Amino acid sequence: MSAADLLPILRGLPWTLGLTLGAFLIGALLGMPLLAARQSRSVPLRGLSMTIIQIVRGIPPILWLFIVFFGLGTGYLPISPFGAAVASLGLISAANMAEIYRGALASIHPGQWEASSALNLGRWSTLVDIVAPQTFRVALPSAASYLIGLMKETAVASTIGVTELTFYGNQQSQLTFRGLEVFAVVGLIYVLISLPVAWLSRIADSYLQAKVAR
Amino acid sequence: MGGAGYCVQGEGPNMTDRGYEKSVAAARGVRLVEEPAIAGAPKRPLIQLDNLSKRYGGHTVLDSIDLEVMSGEVVAIIGPSGSGKSTLLRCINYLEPPDGGFVTIGDITLSAAMPASSTELARLRRSVGMVFQSFNLFPHMTVLRNISLAQERVLGRSRKEAEERSMQLLKRVGLGDKAGQYPARCSGGQQQRVAIARSLALDPQVMLFDEPTSALDPELGLEVLAVMRELAETGMTMIVVTHEMSFAENVSDTVMIMADGRIVEKGPSTEVMRNPQHERTKRFLRAVHDR
Repeated sequence: MSAADLLPILRGLPWTLGLTLGAFLIGALLGMPLLAARQSRSVPLRGLSMTIIQIVRGIPPILWLFIVFFGLGTGYLPISPFGAAVASLGLISAANMAEIYRGALASIHPGQWEASSALNLGRWSTLVDIVAPQTFRVALPSAASYLIGLMKETAVASTIGVTELTFYGNQQSQLTFRGLEVFAVVGLIYVLISLPVAWLSRIADSYLQAKVAR
Repeated sequence: MGGAGYCVQGEGPNMTDRGYEKSVAAARGVRLVEEPAIAGAPKRPLIQLDNLSKRYGGHTVLDSIDLEVMSGEVVAIIGPSGSGKSTLLRCINYLEPPDGGFVTIGDITLSAAMPASSTELARLRRSVGMVFQSFNLFPHMTVLRNISLAQERVLGRSRKEAEERSMQLLKRVGLGDKAGQYPARCSGGQQQRVAIARSLALDPQVMLFDEPTSALDPELGLEVLAVMRELAETGMTMIVVTHEMSFAENVSDTVMIMADGRIVEKGPSTEVMRNPQHERTKRFLRAVHDR
């Protein structure tokens, strides 16, 4: 098997990366209002948010993909395979990120809220200056490991025809009849993408740790 | 309930009328405006608690507390744990909203009967600084930022103004060289002194201290107590919940002993500490001295 057989696989790389980052970004942003609703004083809002999180996380990602692409996509809301994949995985990561943020938020010492109240900082400054930075700092390692998980999850998008790594791997294995080698290389590419993410997260974490550790 | 209040300095013949006038005004939700000080006229208390109560479930933590604190007075609150000392302190700045009674600080009165609006809370807290047992510095900010942030957000000072004031205060608490450090790099005593500077930076009229040295080993506690003594000498009004008996006796003007959510005894510090009248006070002080 030559490099010429393997190079076409790399055409899928930008799609895998785009899908991963797009979905993660949606999740990281949408997770915040979802958490805000989850922590809200209003009971209906809290119930709604909890229901959304449970339903989104309870259904397998591949099924979400089918619901959005074949369900909504045919007829109601014409959508490209890539668009459907970003939307579905973005939705799933929003629910998961909301849970990651919630865990991080719960770890903030109650004294931080009290000091903010005593200093009269007000709700907005308490959130933006005090609570959010500490929450993100705590959420960082879990978010990074979720990002790696999400990157691998994007492989399901090949089932609806998104031309990402696994899609091309599948194509090449059928062209060359060398499934083992081809899929081993595809696997290796996933590992190679995950390494810098893990490495960066560890560096950022130990930098922040050194700054604030007691 | 008036029986609980010991005669504090500055209390004049006018006091009863004034107290009545105030509670009537408070009951009607009217805020009294601070009158200009007239020479010879009795001073109005800076802080007045009327019939203050707090319950958790069926448990009464504060049982109709009446208290007046004059401007410049240093009050030490001592007593066994669970007696409501900290809760009393936290009700004064509404960290715990009381269930009954009135809190008056300067010219603002809040009634527990009506839920306080955020504007009212902000006005009340504007004049009250608080120092916690566990310091509660913001760990993700430098010492300088810890002290400057609220000045910018609450008082609208520019960053430059705020940092100048912060540096001035840091020097006053003996930490001029720590401005760029993160709290984690400071000892407990240093962190507590930063916390004091952080509160002072907002120019409060009164400072509340909730067991400020209880989380510190004795040596580090001393440097915090030294700062508090200096603060008391500058005329700051202070209410200090403490287990430091020498602070209560030597620095504070007034000592108040609490047990079971009530004020058991209150009076000039040396008198209460050396010659307690109430049986509960005697028992508590004996236990402290026997340690």
